[in-house]
Amino acid sequence: MMTAAETEGSIGRVEGICPFARTFINEALTNQQACGIIMTTLCDQMRRGFDIVCRGNTPAFLMNVPNTWQNTGVQKLYLEELNRLGRFLTGLGGKAPSNGDLIKIMLEYGSARKFILAAKGHLSSRQYSEAIAKFNQDGKTDIEKHTTGKEILTDGIPLAIIGGPLLREDLCLFDVVESCGGLIVLDATETSERGMCAQFDRRRLHEDPLMELANAYFGSIPDASRRPNNQLYDWFEQKLVCRKVRGIIFRRYVWCDIWHAEFYRLKQRIDLPVLDIDVSGKGEALSARIIQRIQAFVEMLR
Amino acid sequence: MNNGPKQITLEEWDERYMQLQRLGLCEVGYGGVLSRHVQDGDYRLLRLRYDNSAAALRLWNFLLTEEERLHQGRAEGKKIVGTMKDLGTVPVMAYSLDNVVAFYPDGAWWIPCMMELSAGLLEVADSLGIDESFCPVRAMLGAFVTEAHFPIPDMLLCSVGATCDDFSAIAQRLNALGYPILWWEIPHRRNPEPDEAAVRLPGGFLAPQSQVEFVESELERIRAALEKTAGQKLDDESLSAGIKRANKVRKLLAKLRNATFTADICPLPALEMLIAEMLAIHFCSDQDETAAVLKDLVEEVEGRVKEGKGFLDADAARIFWVNPVADLRVMNLLEECGGRICGTEYLFSHALDTIPENLSPMEALARMAIADPMVGSSVDRAQRICADVQRFGSEAVLISRIPGASHCALEGEVICEIVHDKLGLPLVEIEVPVMTDSIRPKLQTQMEALVETVKERRKI
Repeated sequence: MMTAAETEGSIGRVEGICPFARTFINEALTNQQACGIIMTTLCDQMRRGFDIVCRGNTPAFLMNVPNTWQNTGVQKLYLEELNRLGRFLTGLGGKAPSNGDLIKIMLEYGSARKFILAAKGHLSSRQYSEAIAKFNQDGKTDIEKHTTGKEILTDGIPLAIIGGPLLREDLCLFDVVESCGGLIVLDATETSERGMCAQFDRRRLHEDPLMELANAYFGSIPDASRRPNNQLYDWFEQKLVCRKVRGIIFRRYVWCDIWHAEFYRLKQRIDLPVLDIDVSGKGEALSARIIQRIQAFVEMLR
Repeated sequence: MNNGPKQITLEEWDERYMQLQRLGLCEVGYGGVLSRHVQDGDYRLLRLRYDNSAAALRLWNFLLTEEERLHQGRAEGKKIVGTMKDLGTVPVMAYSLDNVVAFYPDGAWWIPCMMELSAGLLEVADSLGIDESFCPVRAMLGAFVTEAHFPIPDMLLCSVGATCDDFSAIAQRLNALGYPILWWEIPHRRNPEPDEAAVRLPGGFLAPQSQVEFVESELERIRAALEKTAGQKLDDESLSAGIKRANKVRKLLAKLRNATFTADICPLPALEMLIAEMLAIHFCSDQDETAAVLKDLVEEVEGRVKEGKGFLDADAARIFWVNPVADLRVMNLLEECGGRICGTEYLFSHALDTIPENLSPMEALARMAIADPMVGSSVDRAQRICADVQRFGSEAVLISRIPGASHCALEGEVICEIVHDKLGLPLVEIEVPVMTDSIRPKLQTQMEALVETVKERRKI
């Protein structure tokens, strides 16, 4: 999970760029520890960002992630891209895994995901999202680190948050919501459980682990960037009902066209109040503007 | 037939039209006096300056009667295919069928300019949640909802993947409003790996063979869908013939560009050249007529070059223009500032390059589709710009940002850096909204500064 404040860099002044893409690009250009950078084509600004990142000193890789998903051709393309990514990683000094090794690590990750998902009721909404973001970053599930010993709030007006990836400083949004009398019971941002792939099918996993990896990631993560993106709404609606959500916080970055265009559609399709929050990636989660709007939103739902 | 080349107003065109008629002007069905289009609401025409040739008259009348042709096509029982974003590939396939007319709803991005915002399309887009933070192509949504600018297509196709987010998001919005879309994937064009089979694309880029094969498989899906809509077989023979017809247009355009951009004195203004280039994308709904219009323009330009006639002084700054503009008036402004166009990259150079005729037609079209400058990196695009700058002898590069377009935030920086490092030419980046009237002084200052810089450099 990135922190916007750490990433004032060479493209800091470019206008019209999504703050998350800007943060990532600046981080990639200034990071001294990474020996490789991997970006995807899921959004145009990140794809264009690669043109800048790849001219830096760290080897960089752009993975084609198709927007369509309906036919075997694009699934095959995704699989080929995984193989190409593998070659990039071995080129950096990595070792190509045997099928056995791949199965083992997939099972470990599968168990870790299960463990985190099962911990939902035992963590605060912020801790839960933080644990997932941490897992996405390094594959670790040290949930204890995310617990604070504080009593976990279980009452409050149940809310969902949806949008692209969060930055580290955005996590305080969860606290802000709770302090206003709300409770985020569904985090559908990209860095949350929405971004977690489906459980692996054990039989298919042993038959062809790479194929199962592709199926689980490419086939199951609903996102606004998909064309068409009905899966996102199907998934979201089902979760909203399950978790008895009463209001939605629609959090988007300015200049993120993909999410911005979904706001009205979401309002039209889902019969719940929606609060639109646009952020510029400068740690605004605690700004008076946002706090007041969340307060008013929760107040309205009482 | 013509007086000397001159840029004239719409009002002056009325008089010029009568003069041409007296001289025996032969017109095709859509011909007529240009000012009649203002009655359709195209008020921007009143503020533009035009080339005074009969060839230019035909070009403008052809452009401004496209909507009528689409309606006429439907009345004749033809199927209307709306093809979105790929800018050049699908129409070649569609026009290989004899009962299909293809057009780009994307072209609606010029309606707010042409109608000086009177059509209310941007307001409709606003009401659907697509506000001014998006590219002006959002006008397309309004055009669909109002049904006042083109017939609603029988079939809609849209390329996604390595495309701009604005368009993809707007097309998704359209889809959610109930317009079915056949989405097809165009992957980001990458460099082939060291041991990977690669192919040379039209325009000179290299791409992995596997990517070309993938695009070919996507185009096969489109072929099947077109066949279903048209109720006709789209076999390789028809496609090859279609490619030949498209190449005829492209060859004429190459001739026109070469003659215009390399002439000592500018023989055709920037505005008419922009319109002429746009014809290559979808033939303005009539492929044969596109070729005829371009042939007239080529003859006009070649005649002027031969006689040493044209616009501006011979010392006009030779500018390479990057990206299309939402306000056509800006093309006139460049000339008023002492510049002329000598080279362009309007985001569709793949629609100008000749399609290979020595390959299977589907592979040839796949190669063309993946040669799209938007599909590859900005680095590739910059390299192509550099090559064309050298070919046409441009002295400066002007990058025209499209407000809100996802690719414009970062590509300008990459292009500027590469062009500057490689060629050391002056560059300027401007932003052109739908209506530039309020920022005209700013744009004028930027363009004049570029022109002055070019002229100063000549003294060194």
